[in-house]
Amino acid sequence: MFFHIRLERNLQLHPRFFGPQLRDKLVEKLIHDVEGTCSGRHGFVVAVTGVDTIGKGLIRDGTGYVTFPIHYQCVVFRPFKGEILEGVVTLVNKMGFFAEAGPVQIFVSNHLIPDDMSFQSGDVPCYETSDSSVRIQKDSEVRLKIVGTRVDATEIFCIGTIKDDFLGLIGDPTAGA
Amino acid sequence: MANEEEDASELKLGEDFLKEKCLMNAEVAKILQHKYDTANQMSDDPSSQLSQVFEKSFAYVKRFSRYKNPEAVQQVREVLSRNQLAEFEVCVLGNLCPETVEEATALVPSIAKKGRLDDERIEQMLADLARIKTFE
Repeated sequence: MFFHIRLERNLQLHPRFFGPQLRDKLVEKLIHDVEGTCSGRHGFVVAVTGVDTIGKGLIRDGTGYVTFPIHYQCVVFRPFKGEILEGVVTLVNKMGFFAEAGPVQIFVSNHLIPDDMSFQSGDVPCYETSDSSVRIQKDSEVRLKIVGTRVDATEIFCIGTIKDDFLGLIGDPTAGA
Repeated sequence: MANEEEDASELKLGEDFLKEKCLMNAEVAKILQHKYDTANQMSDDPSSQLSQVFEKSFAYVKRFSRYKNPEAVQQVREVLSRNQLAEFEVCVLGNLCPETVEEATALVPSIAKKGRLDDERIEQMLADLARIKTFE
C-alpha cells in the first residue's frame, strides 16, 4: 500500500552552499538522498512531496559541516503481511513465480499456488490448470496476498500466496486484457 | 522484530503507519504524474533525475489505477469514508474494486468484524462504487 507520511531527517551540508540558495540546496539534497531508498521501517520512498520545516542548523565541531533537521512529507510504498494487492508476473519457474507490485518483488512458491495448477515448461513457462482455462505466465496480472516479508538493509522481499478465495489471475496477456 | 506483529487483515500496521494517510493507486498516479511532468520540464532527460523506485511505482500505479478521473477518485473516497472505514480499508477497497459482498469481506476481513458493517451496508457501498465507475 502507498502511504503519504511525514518523516524527519538530519542533513549535513558543506559550508560552501551557505548563501541565498541555502534552502533550495537543502531540498535538492534531501530529494537526492532519500528518493529511491528503502528501509524496513518505512518502506520504499517513492517521492518527496513537500518540506514542512527546516530547523536551525548546528555546526559540527571540527569539520565546519552543518546539520539541519528537516521535516518533510513523502509518498512511500510499504508492503504489509496480510495485505492483498495486485502485481505483474515477471518470472516463472518450477519453484513458483515472481511478481512485482511497484518497487517490491513478491515470490509465490508453488506450495502457495492452488493444487489444480501445475507448472508447464516450454517456450513460455507458466502455471496452468488442467483444462487450460487459467494460465499464469510472464506479464500476467495476478491478485495475491502477502504472507510474509523479509527486510534487508536496502530492500524488502515478500512472500505471497494465491491459494485463497478471490486471489489469482486477473488479466491474461494472450486475451488482450 | 516489529514485523511479527503486523497483520493488515486485522488492521495491525504498527504505530508508524496507523495514523498516516493511505493513498489509492489512482491518487499516487496523480502525484507521480505531476512530479514526472515537472522533472520533464526541468531537463531533457527525466530518467536521469528519477529513481528506479519512482519509475517502477509510476508504471505500476498507471497499470493498476481503477479510476482515471480525479473527481471519481474523490467520490470513491467520500463514499467509503461515509461508512466509518479505516484509511487502509478505504484504499484496499478502492484499489481492488470488489464486486460482491463475499469478495469484499474475503479481501478485507476487518470490515465484517466486530459487527461493524452488515452485509446490506457493504452491498450498498459496493453498489455506490460501481455507479461511480459507470459514470466516470
